[in-house]
Amino acid sequence: MIRSTIRHIALAALILCLASSIAIGAVVVDTAAKPPATVCLACHGSQTGPGGIPVKPWQGSVHAAGGIGCQDCHGGDPKDAVNAMSPARGFLGVPAEQGIPAFCGRCHVGILEDYLKSAHGRALGKGGPTCVTCHGSHEVQKVTLEIINEKRCSACHTYERAARIKAAMQEVERNLVRIDGEITRLKQEGVDTDAWGKQLFAVRNRYHRLFHNVDVALVRKESAAIRGELDKLDDFLSRTDEERYRRKIAGAFAVGGFLVAALLAHLLAKSYD
Amino acid sequence: MNPLQKLHTWIDVRIGIDALLKKELTGYLLPRNINAWYSLGSILLVLFSIQVLTGILLLVYYVPDAEKAFQSVTFIMNQVPFGWLFRTCHAVGSNLMILALFGHLLSVLFMGSYKSPREFNWLSGFVLFNLVMGISLTGYLLPWSQLSFWATTVATNSVGVVPVIGEQLVEFLRGAKSVGPPTLSRFFVLHVVVIPATIAGMIGLHLFLLKRTGVSLPPFGLSDTRNAWRGEQYRYEDHPDGIPFFPNFALRDLSSILLYLALFGTVVFFLPNLFFPAQAFVPADPFQTPDRIKPEWYFLPNYQTLRILPSELLGLAVQGAAMTFLALLPFIDRGTERHPLKRPLFLTCCICGILTFVGLMIWGHYS
Repeated sequence: MIRSTIRHIALAALILCLASSIAIGAVVVDTAAKPPATVCLACHGSQTGPGGIPVKPWQGSVHAAGGIGCQDCHGGDPKDAVNAMSPARGFLGVPAEQGIPAFCGRCHVGILEDYLKSAHGRALGKGGPTCVTCHGSHEVQKVTLEIINEKRCSACHTYERAARIKAAMQEVERNLVRIDGEITRLKQEGVDTDAWGKQLFAVRNRYHRLFHNVDVALVRKESAAIRGELDKLDDFLSRTDEERYRRKIAGAFAVGGFLVAALLAHLLAKSYD
Repeated sequence: MNPLQKLHTWIDVRIGIDALLKKELTGYLLPRNINAWYSLGSILLVLFSIQVLTGILLLVYYVPDAEKAFQSVTFIMNQVPFGWLFRTCHAVGSNLMILALFGHLLSVLFMGSYKSPREFNWLSGFVLFNLVMGISLTGYLLPWSQLSFWATTVATNSVGVVPVIGEQLVEFLRGAKSVGPPTLSRFFVLHVVVIPATIAGMIGLHLFLLKRTGVSLPPFGLSDTRNAWRGEQYRYEDHPDGIPFFPNFALRDLSSILLYLALFGTVVFFLPNLFFPAQAFVPADPFQTPDRIKPEWYFLPNYQTLRILPSELLGLAVQGAAMTFLALLPFIDRGTERHPLKRPLFLTCCICGILTFVGLMIWGHYS
């Protein structure tokens, strides 16, 4: 009786072990990505006054998501608390209003060029808008067409021309977002989308350069050309989807064939029994 | 006599093929009450063959070089005619092979088929089980994706908690301080040469042992379900009133195999990304740690066990002890009863164990 109980306890332990056994290895832990720890964030993050204001908006910005930290724009040494804001370490601080386009344009070179050519850029220093007027500073987000809106544009001039530009660009924007989503989906399914991704990147850049243009006719002409480029991409994507659909049809025949053959084998086995 | 008959006679008089076929097929009798669970062995053989075949096809294009591995897999998936099919079959096959292995292990457990004199059958099966886990783990790295790189990094890291020699073990496994090109070379050799050859040898041994002990009688539909073998001398368990392997059981086997292939085809054609998360299609980047990496479903219970225990060393020790215990089960369980319903405590523990296992798996997935 005792031996039997011991045996049962041993077996119970075995089954519980089964729950945690199987193989040694493949131990994977959470590896949540953490933003780089910089002295800028450590110091400004704990400030309650004006110095602490940029931290939260930056954390939710497209710059933070892309790994662009304080020092990338403002310079300085993000690893040395004592000399973090030393000009000797490249600290630039906050730019003057007229210096903002050049400040942002160190990275956004093409956009700076377009901006300076536009009516907005030509009015720099004469009451015209700078980058932060429309995009904000630390809270900057990935740009969409929604940035052109009556409230924002009407703050300086009438909305009519901006509305016509927006209308011309709307279909392009819709197609860009849709094709981007399609490419992401196919990439996540193992399709080699590198070439399409590069094409889309080029088309998107071409589209983004329209944002700083205020010539309605040119925007319409460029939008039509971009739509043509996007249609070509769309065609490639449709063909990929069709191919995948054909695979499913072939798969249905294969699975159906296996099931019918399994049934036949079963019936044949029954007849032998 | 037609030419075919002539050829048959020519062969038969030389190697006695008729007698051999009679002995191994029509004259090889299996228990009359044999059930579908006994087909899992044949299913596993078919799946192993599919893995070998698709693996050879992948080898034609795969480049085991850290600079080119990911591109070569992308090339296979997108440019090679039917490359997507044999790569998907290979990946799905490994998962479905493990699923079938679980089924085979549980059926042997429930029907008490591991009991004496089948200790060696159990042990060889246990080794095979571990080898399949090993081949899955080593194969995971080969695409050199973010998923494979980081999963291997953390998996090899876990060995580092072994006292005294932990660090050396990690370096031995990786061939360097961190996962890199030497790790890929090692895992490649293990995956395509060492482990498959060992698996093939172990399958041979497993089948040899099956032939030497005979097929076990299922403990269902019988009045006496106790293990009759007393251990006095070697005995081949024959079934004189049984059914012939061919055609009777071979057809049942075929039916089960085809059903499993239908499941296989369903996943390959309709759920091809079931075992491929998005990170599997991003090239490995040692400087960019993904947000969260999860192991394959069959390692999730291990993963979760290690997370809920206070230290990784304790987690590894528990799993090591469990594996040893599982390996030695036939030597621990010396009872003669084989029917699961006549072993209520065993049955209850078994069901609880399966529920715990599945629970840990789900917990690990959503944690």
